Amino acid sequence: MKIAISLLLFLASYSVKGQNVDANALVQRVVNKINTVKDYSVSAYIHANIPLIKIMPVNASIYFKQKDKFKVVSKGIAILPKQGFTDVNSFLTKKGSYMAVWGGNKTIQNVNTSLVSVIPTGETSEIILAKLWIDAKRDIILRSQVTTRSSGTVTVDYTYGTEVAYGLPSKLVFTIDVKKFKMPKSVAADLNKTDNQKKKTANKDQKGTITIKLTNYKINKGISDNVFKDK
Amino acid sequence: MLLKNTYNEFIKILAKPRSYLGVGALTLLVLIILFAMKADGKSFISFVTASFEQTLSFNGNILNGNLIAFIILQMLIVHIPLLVSLVTGDLISGEAAMGTIRMLATKPISRTQIVLSKFIAGAVYTLVLTIWLGFLALIVGKWIFGTGDLIVLNSDGLVILKEQDVLWRYGLSFGVAYLALLTISTLSICLSAFAENSIGPIVSTMAIIILFTIIGSLDVSVFDSIKPFLFTTHMASWRSFFEDPVPWSTIRDSVVILLVHNVVLVLIAMYKFNKKDITS
Repeated sequence: MKIAISLLLFLASYSVKGQNVDANALVQRVVNKINTVKDYSVSAYIHANIPLIKIMPVNASIYFKQKDKFKVVSKGIAILPKQGFTDVNSFLTKKGSYMAVWGGNKTIQNVNTSLVSVIPTGETSEIILAKLWIDAKRDIILRSQVTTRSSGTVTVDYTYGTEVAYGLPSKLVFTIDVKKFKMPKSVAADLNKTDNQKKKTANKDQKGTITIKLTNYKINKGISDNVFKDK
Repeated sequence: MLLKNTYNEFIKILAKPRSYLGVGALTLLVLIILFAMKADGKSFISFVTASFEQTLSFNGNILNGNLIAFIILQMLIVHIPLLVSLVTGDLISGEAAMGTIRMLATKPISRTQIVLSKFIAGAVYTLVLTIWLGFLALIVGKWIFGTGDLIVLNSDGLVILKEQDVLWRYGLSFGVAYLALLTISTLSICLSAFAENSIGPIVSTMAIIILFTIIGSLDVSVFDSIKPFLFTTHMASWRSFFEDPVPWSTIRDSVVILLVHNVVLVLIAMYKFNKKDITS
């Protein structure tokens, strides 16, 4: 009996270890694909649908350069999620700063994906947990769910187009938590509204989405560092 | 005769140093706000967007002339009534105090027309102040800070209006703000008809504004029935033009109530001035 239990435990630990190795290798393949992009610029159409914020869609240009230079240039005001754009990629490229654990398979966008939980090994990392749904055949992330210390949880759905070979998406849908938003009373003084009306609108607990359509990629063409300087 | 007397009344306003005090104070206040925004405007903006910035990042020129104009309008609309009543509160009572009211009454013009000419002169002075405020806030603000989308914080949340969708809103909001200030002007002239000295109507006007504002801000149900009829409730109606969608019916109600206040106050002043004993 003891031999049987020991054998089962050995097989289970071997199995988990094996899957861990797979998860790390899978993440590494994704990272390798990400690293083929040294820089890019892309036109973005940003549509934010966030409770408590009314904003029309905005056109912008997005610039990225390795390792972590990132800039959004728009004529008008554009709202983007604080987390989830480049921070996952830059986090994944720091080899040894995290461990990846395989968590099963799930179908997303009619594609069979591997769920990989990425946990930082350090205690000071901004990212607490990143769940990645990876298309193992194409080595691309189809969905990510990143939990950070300061910004809560942000879920991102990726759609790929012509630049799938570089792992660059053509559409991103960010889902963010809106329950933390609070209106400063001293600034938002609406005389025509009663306090009860204000409380009704302020206490809503909802999800918001930001959809970014990305077109006209220019990859590895070289971007000057001046682009990333604040004017 | 009415127009000629109105012209004379406006000349009298121009001759008083206190008339320039209002314009000067307004200019100084706006310049101080512009300087403060230029020096530390970003921290002011982050105070507005603080609750969003943990999750979202705002890209683009947020601190632009359109936002500066909105901030100036919001800050100063509370203080401009004092500058208006400082001049208009003196229009009838000042004549009574100096004794020139008797000479004025000897002119071949009815007392009703005398009062009307003072109201029109007061309205023109208020218009000049409003236009000057608009110029300083919008034109000078855009010249210093550039232009861009307007970000407005309401109790419902943030409204971000496109740059090309802002100018008409400012045009109409300055119109409604003018109507609100005109009500202050009319109130002070009306009170001026009851007084024999200059300071009384000015202080009374400010006291009424403070009293009505406190009643309006108290969240007590006993005042709910009278709040919609207080002119101070509608002094911030200009802000409604920056909501999306614009609450036209609310603005219409505010305009009607402010107009009714103006008409009633003019009629009261006419009645009082016609009955006023200026011989003793």
